[in-house]
Amino acid sequence: MAAPSLLRGGWSRLVSGFLGLGGGWARPPARALRQVVEVTEGSTTVIEGKIIEDVKTPTPPNPSGQCPICRWNLKHKYNYEDVLLLSQFIRSDGGMLPRRITGLCLEEHKKVAVCVQMAHRAGLLPNHRPLLPEGHVSKKPKLNRYLTRWSVKSVKPIWKRGPKWCRVPFRVGHPLLMDNINYGQKPVYLNH
Amino acid sequence: PRFRFLPPGVGTGSGSEAAPPARRQSAMASYTKAAQQWATFARAWYLIDGKLQPPGKLAAMSVIRLQGKHKPMYHALSDCGDHVVIINTRHIAFSGNKWEQKVYSSHSGYPGGLKQVTATQLHLKDPTAVVKLAIYRMLPKNLHRRTMMQRLHLFPEDVIPEDIRNNLVEELAQPRRIPKRLDEYTQEEIDAFPMLWTPPKNYRKM
Repeated sequence: MAAPSLLRGGWSRLVSGFLGLGGGWARPPARALRQVVEVTEGSTTVIEGKIIEDVKTPTPPNPSGQCPICRWNLKHKYNYEDVLLLSQFIRSDGGMLPRRITGLCLEEHKKVAVCVQMAHRAGLLPNHRPLLPEGHVSKKPKLNRYLTRWSVKSVKPIWKRGPKWCRVPFRVGHPLLMDNINYGQKPVYLNH
Repeated sequence: PRFRFLPPGVGTGSGSEAAPPARRQSAMASYTKAAQQWATFARAWYLIDGKLQPPGKLAAMSVIRLQGKHKPMYHALSDCGDHVVIINTRHIAFSGNKWEQKVYSSHSGYPGGLKQVTATQLHLKDPTAVVKLAIYRMLPKNLHRRTMMQRLHLFPEDVIPEDIRNNLVEELAQPRRIPKRLDEYTQEEIDAFPMLWTPPKNYRKM
């Protein structure tokens, strides 16, 4: 009998190394922890994925918090680059999970949504793309960007920026993330 | 109060000792005069990698070195600027929505000669233009600017001519810390990060 192997659903993509397949193949259900049990009875082999009842998660530092972010004391401490945290709140095609399922409070849900959007636009979540037909080549130019507040298709060029005293600024980042802890001496500039 | 750049034996100490004081060992003792002169006045070649870097920060670093302001013997008339080579200018990264919002305008002088191009269009047409304009506009607006621009070398990819590669002295650190993508994390790092919440058993739409 094969030794039972712990399959972490969300990371099976990384483990098996699916790099080129964007969409089209049936994705395994993410995030639910199942234990693969293989039972051979004569000529029939039954491979079963049993859902583990009690998941051994470490206790959060602040168990009396209302949302996962408050329980783990991460309230003003994450940004668009903390992909390990953000990937726990997204579906496999990149969309956000509903608030009633994740348990986030409203302001944290909005902040996580904004960070997820910025991470997608920065290209930090390459395997969470929406399902597209095979062989679809996008005609958009592939430009590197980060801290993008608005969607690429919706933004119009600023033809006239105006004189220095009433300049139209370039908006960078998001005002919801203004309260984040900043360990450097320079403040976070949202207007460039 | 004594002038602080004089060696300690001069002035008040000259009459106190009978024998002249021993020569102080200076930090420059191991360099010959010719070698020190060469190291001070030689023009150095610096390399900067522009991959995933904002062009404004690349420009700020290069402008300091093109003018020579990173040297303690800087003077505007000394012509003490160094060469700067920037590679991977095709892969620069703008913060915010500047690729769509930033507009580069030029006017030929003739009526109807206003040309306005977004940063995306300009970058696709010429991958070095964004960095070149950023540096040109950051340099001091005098006649030295053109000579300093001649000492700037931009390459869209990391392919550099042989003679420039042989001249390079130092690679400067990139101004922006590049975040890791999700597929660049090792499995141990992913496992070490705890799950913040447990999904309900009957929810399948993930």
